[in-house]
Amino acid sequence: MHIKMNGQTIEIFTGAKVKDVLRKYSRAEWMLVRAKKKKVCDRHGNEVGLDGELMGGEELVTSVRGPEESRS
Amino acid sequence: MKRARSFRTAMRLLAVALLTALSLSSATSATTRPSTTTTSSLMAESTREALPTESSATTGLPAPAVPPESRIVIFHINDVHGKIDNFAKVAAILDAERKTGAQVFFFSAGDNFTGDPVVDQYDPPGEPMLEMLARLNLDVTALGNHEFDYGLEAVRRLAARFPIISANIQAPPGTLPGLKPWIALKAKDGTKLVVFSLIQIEPGNGLPSTHPDKLGDLRFSEPLSKALELKKLRAEGQVLIGLTHIGHEQDLILAGAMPEIDVIIGGHSHTRVDPAKIVNGVLVTQAGSDNLFLGRIDLFLKNGRVVEKTGRLVDLSQVKDEDPAVKAMLAKYHTNPALARVLIEAPFELTGKNALGCLFTDAMRAAHNLDIAFQNNGGIRINRLPKSITLKDVYTLDPFGNETVEIAMTAAEIRGLVKASFEKRKEIDLQVSGMTYLVRADAAKQVKSVQLNNLDGSPLAEDKTFKVGLSSYVATTYDFAHKDPGRSTRTLTVDDLIQYLKSAVDLGIYRDARRAFSEIESEPYRN
Repeated sequence: MHIKMNGQTIEIFTGAKVKDVLRKYSRAEWMLVRAKKKKVCDRHGNEVGLDGELMGGEELVTSVRGPEESRS
Repeated sequence: MKRARSFRTAMRLLAVALLTALSLSSATSATTRPSTTTTSSLMAESTREALPTESSATTGLPAPAVPPESRIVIFHINDVHGKIDNFAKVAAILDAERKTGAQVFFFSAGDNFTGDPVVDQYDPPGEPMLEMLARLNLDVTALGNHEFDYGLEAVRRLAARFPIISANIQAPPGTLPGLKPWIALKAKDGTKLVVFSLIQIEPGNGLPSTHPDKLGDLRFSEPLSKALELKKLRAEGQVLIGLTHIGHEQDLILAGAMPEIDVIIGGHSHTRVDPAKIVNGVLVTQAGSDNLFLGRIDLFLKNGRVVEKTGRLVDLSQVKDEDPAVKAMLAKYHTNPALARVLIEAPFELTGKNALGCLFTDAMRAAHNLDIAFQNNGGIRINRLPKSITLKDVYTLDPFGNETVEIAMTAAEIRGLVKASFEKRKEIDLQVSGMTYLVRADAAKQVKSVQLNNLDGSPLAEDKTFKVGLSSYVATTYDFAHKDPGRSTRTLTVDDLIQYLKSAVDLGIYRDARRAFSEIESEPYRN
């Protein structure tokens, strides 16, 4: 299936979760999200969990987590 | 293929219905929705007049007339995935609200199970979650795809404790007693909430995202098409709620197609929707995942019609109050004796990444009938398994929650994976089952050749495609070419290991086991 991450199309196995797409997109981004410095959001700006399930066709973005945002 | 065609057809039908619904929505605003309370055979089938454990919001008394004004509070969770720790806080919040005399309901949008060994490995599986939800007086739960991970018996145990609903599951008689497409819940003042549910299915196989073997003879239909058949439920109560497990994107499409719905409480995509959104007049929300947030919806009705609705999430990390009795229950679960249970006695301690890697990848290969399986050394977190191997040891060996991914690969593609792994770590990194390999590299650890052999030493066929299993970590972080994108087996590698060890395998074969070798030019012997 195909998922867009920060505008880049990622081809990935069927049944992949948000964390799988993020790891395939960029190990550096993965580490930042794991460290709670960044978060992953859907195309509407809602934060999604790393184990969030995907159908294909979703658009995700990473963004810097604000100081008041403790975690997802 | 046939299922995929059916799915596309269903989506085309849905698109037509969506456009029709949207064209009508301007004339069907929230203020003009019907508010009748007719009785029908459907209602007789599903109305839940009184709960076995009655919540503060429900009553067995005859329904009074629709009150002129009514306030309803709905708390909701989704995708808790066995994370029970914050339930002491949830209990405190629910109990405090109930004590005010408010009409309080508590819903789960599915995936209560799977994700924490304390709950997953309990005997019987999932029991701590069921006891917690019972303590919290859960009114109804959607069935999520992970409700099926423990098998149908666990779903039946769930159904024995709580109403379970899903409109797009067709269960043969006796398979899932208690499963209803929808349910009617009555508040103390007689206000009737009609709640239906939908479960996600995959476009490829038309099944929810769990291992297909867990689904028995259940049949599933496309959720959004099914939802359009439920518009008639609008007439069955004063509040129509979709308690869905189809993901937030699908919830938005559902809201666009069905303005008859007052509220959609979603799950599956682990989306934190805060505040809740109003889409086509429908309030749409979802409370993240892992019991980190508790959703709260406030409804205000006048003359049997919702005139005001809001939804927010409570960040449980900011909540201080905890119910002491629930906290004591949590402490009991965390001493789960199942984790200390011995799975198998080995003839000796299994030591070293090579032996443990052979065991690990053999388990992946056996669980999914694969030709070959790979796992990276970094995913094998200990160097020794004791002779008496417990569940806790296995979770210590593989704590990451990665799944086994199946990919069809040629020998050339496998060679590319091995080469990439060696050049990444400058040493043997991938453990393997179903074959052996030898990497020859120069003094700078640049790979010169990769020799792939069958277990009998003969060369791996170059013209064949193999069913290869990789941990999802390897599948996503290693840079190698492969034509087939692959598919998740919907099984954690740790569960493959547990299943393998429970099968009373002869662990004697892992003494000095090794299948991955290298020769470095400057070194006189193999490392």
